[in-house]
Amino acid sequence: MIDQLLIPFTYEYMVNAMLVSALVGGVCACLSCFVMLKGWSLLGDGLSHAVVPGVAVAYKLGWPFAIGAYIAGMTAAMGMSYLRSITRIRQDAIIGVVYTTWFAAGLVFLSIYPASVKIKNIVFGNLLLIAPFDIRQMVVVSIVALGVLLLKWKDLRLYCFDPSHARTIGLNTWALEATLLVLMAGVAIAALQAVGAALVMAMLITPGATAYLLTDRFGRMMILAAAMGAITSALGAYASYYLNGSAGGTIVVLQTLVFLVTLVFAPRHGILAGKARAKAAAEDLLARLNRESFTQEAAR
Amino acid sequence: MTATPQTSLDLSVKNVSVAYSNGHVALHNASFTLGPGTICALVGVNGSGKSTLFKSIMGFLRPARGSVTICGEPVHKAHKKSIVAYVPQAEEVDWSFPVTVRDVVMMGRYGYMNFLRIARAEDHRIVEESLARVQMLDFAHRQIGELSGGQKKRVFIARALAQRGRIILLDEPFTGVDVQTELAIIELMRELRQQGHIILVSTHNLGAVPDFCDQVVLINRTVLAFGPTATTFTQENLARTFGASLKHLRLDHTDNPADARNELVVVTDDEQALVLGSDGQLNRLPEQEARP
Amino acid sequence: MMPLLLAVDLLEPLRQGFVIQVLILAGLIGVVCAVLSCYLVLKGWALMGDAISHAVLPGIILAYVLGIPLTIGAFASGMLCAVGTGWIKARSRIKEDTVMGIVFTGLFALGLILMSRVASDVHFDQIIRGSLLGIHKSDMIQVYITSAVTLGVVLLKRKDLMLLCFDQAQAKSVGLNTTFLYYLLLTLLAATTVAALQAVGIILTVAMLITPGSIAFMWTSRFDRMLLIASSTAVVAAVVGTYISYFFDGSAAGFIVLMQSLFFIITIVFAPKHGLIARRRTLKAALDQI
Repeated sequence: MIDQLLIPFTYEYMVNAMLVSALVGGVCACLSCFVMLKGWSLLGDGLSHAVVPGVAVAYKLGWPFAIGAYIAGMTAAMGMSYLRSITRIRQDAIIGVVYTTWFAAGLVFLSIYPASVKIKNIVFGNLLLIAPFDIRQMVVVSIVALGVLLLKWKDLRLYCFDPSHARTIGLNTWALEATLLVLMAGVAIAALQAVGAALVMAMLITPGATAYLLTDRFGRMMILAAAMGAITSALGAYASYYLNGSAGGTIVVLQTLVFLVTLVFAPRHGILAGKARAKAAAEDLLARLNRESFTQEAAR
Repeated sequence: MTATPQTSLDLSVKNVSVAYSNGHVALHNASFTLGPGTICALVGVNGSGKSTLFKSIMGFLRPARGSVTICGEPVHKAHKKSIVAYVPQAEEVDWSFPVTVRDVVMMGRYGYMNFLRIARAEDHRIVEESLARVQMLDFAHRQIGELSGGQKKRVFIARALAQRGRIILLDEPFTGVDVQTELAIIELMRELRQQGHIILVSTHNLGAVPDFCDQVVLINRTVLAFGPTATTFTQENLARTFGASLKHLRLDHTDNPADARNELVVVTDDEQALVLGSDGQLNRLPEQEARP
Repeated sequence: MMPLLLAVDLLEPLRQGFVIQVLILAGLIGVVCAVLSCYLVLKGWALMGDAISHAVLPGIILAYVLGIPLTIGAFASGMLCAVGTGWIKARSRIKEDTVMGIVFTGLFALGLILMSRVASDVHFDQIIRGSLLGIHKSDMIQVYITSAVTLGVVLLKRKDLMLLCFDQAQAKSVGLNTTFLYYLLLTLLAATTVAALQAVGIILTVAMLITPGSIAFMWTSRFDRMLLIASSTAVVAAVVGTYISYFFDGSAAGFIVLMQSLFFIITIVFAPKHGLIARRRTLKAALDQI
């Protein structure tokens, strides 16, 4: 049986897939701490869909996919930002309007100029079939993103927590916001080649949310999230050997399961812990009331 | 503790007008100047432009007309030197953010730290000292959401102290805060005034203002009056500032109808009431002056 | 393959029976979704349609495997997403948008795994593009019925639902059964989303549940008018979009969404009080005064 389980490790392409997945998954997870706390969870949804037409058009024009994805992603983000500044419509509606427009533009383009790119591959990703060039690109982007995060996490954390204070001590909040956005787009584009556009969003929020339930220290949160992201991604890649594809699905289901288990059992912020605390507080109150009524009785 | 003998510190707001992009003019022609060593109250109803004024000083809004300068320089230059410190209202903070008390206070030092924001021994020392000064040292490792209202306020004051901000903006610092903390904050402000800081406090706790503020700025879309508390904080000026939202009662407080001071005017907008003499001026009764 | 402009017969599409059918269907679904979108935009649930549209996948696959109607499976899955989001949010310190994201992507991922073991590629294309042109008669009847019922219920309860979305606390204090209304809205949303998905595909469904409401929101602050404006833009977009797509031989769903986005841009610029031009005018007038 063990021999059966070790088969994937004997293939170089599988080992590569697992390592690359772990790297990308870990970086996404690290970033997810910031994305989730800044309230950008749904922005991840919007961006990861908005890049799809960019990829399709780039394919048709013969450009590298990543360029198309970047252009589509960054223009979408700028569009959302601009709309937010000039209207009173809420952020989630703005995200929805922009990303459906982008996607529709891609659909229309492809319906008029059909290309042999299969949308399926873009939306679902295809980890095991990625060309070596693209793998190198994914690795480089991930390492650069990781570097930026490790160097500037304190400023980024401050920006997410209290942008007013950041401003008054001379930090450039526009630059910090732009950095976070560019990192998000870059990492999302890298990840979408592995797990597809539909699932990138999960990798950009679920690990962070899980870690958030486990600790109150931001640094620890980043480490926990990164570890979870890396392990689940590697496992997902591994499992895809047996499941005949759908590495992305496996990764996200694993991450969601870990989240659900943490949600229930987390020592301080989990549901069971909360119930235990409420029970203890109620008992405490009851005991105090009893004592007071005893002393009142005694006094009479 | 401010080390440098100052090039004179001042905050100058000159003819500032701010209009939001939807056409609402939040402030027009607002002017006042504050020199070193003062606690100034910024008094006005909600929507009077108090927060717009703060945002202009913090560089979030560019005035359509006029200017805000600090030591003669535009605001953003002052920010680079961490001169302006902001103590936010409780509602503005995300209390479930995973940072500890110490983390927050250390954020006050970021403006002085290197690229990687690595804290040196000096930074740690200053953070400890600031925490001790607000009696929060024992809570340094706690996540900020676990604190009481007064403790939460103290953490952000400690951050302003650690930042060595010479101009400190406090936004409604006494809401939701216990009496002990309120007294401690006032005491701290007096010490800072002694050391030459400029402290601008936005409040509608009218009764407390004469206790610790030596100047007031009365604001209602523009600066209606500004100057020393004793001469500026009058019933007439308050009526212009608050309009109809002010309650005032005339009270007969002595048994002797011949007593010239037998009537008092009590002015309040639902916070601690302000007590004025029957002439609408701040003629303090001896018992009131003795209050700590 | 664009027909030469000179040779274009503008009335040609209307002579095709299937085009008329598409127009009616898209128009009807457009109206229902537009009406719902007014509530969603008010409540801050703009992306709930997006979430449900993804979350239906595992339900569809399981229903296929179990041999029960796909719609039932989709609906159950969608409701699980919506209800699950609410349940988790109430019991943890994680914010609503994050919870929604975790739940629907989790469900979608589950659906993908199931799909890779079970179903074929055909379904997938239809989910994205919709099967406007290939829709079966029985499905259509189901879509019509769902739309009619939803529209009827919403219009009947429109004031109560509006209060629920605008200020839940106030709704409770005037004696409305907010729990019932909440689940009613969710159920209607799930049912409509499932119906719309079958007819017009995911992108158009998501767009129609957000854009018309956002457009109407900028033109008026009276809710009844908002419903009217939203429905009108949806119908016009559906008709014009389908029409154009015929001549370009392109994706009807894509063109309809782009049409709605065009209306959105026009709104941003020209809306009477909140549009760019109006705001610039007010700002200038204000600045001139000071």
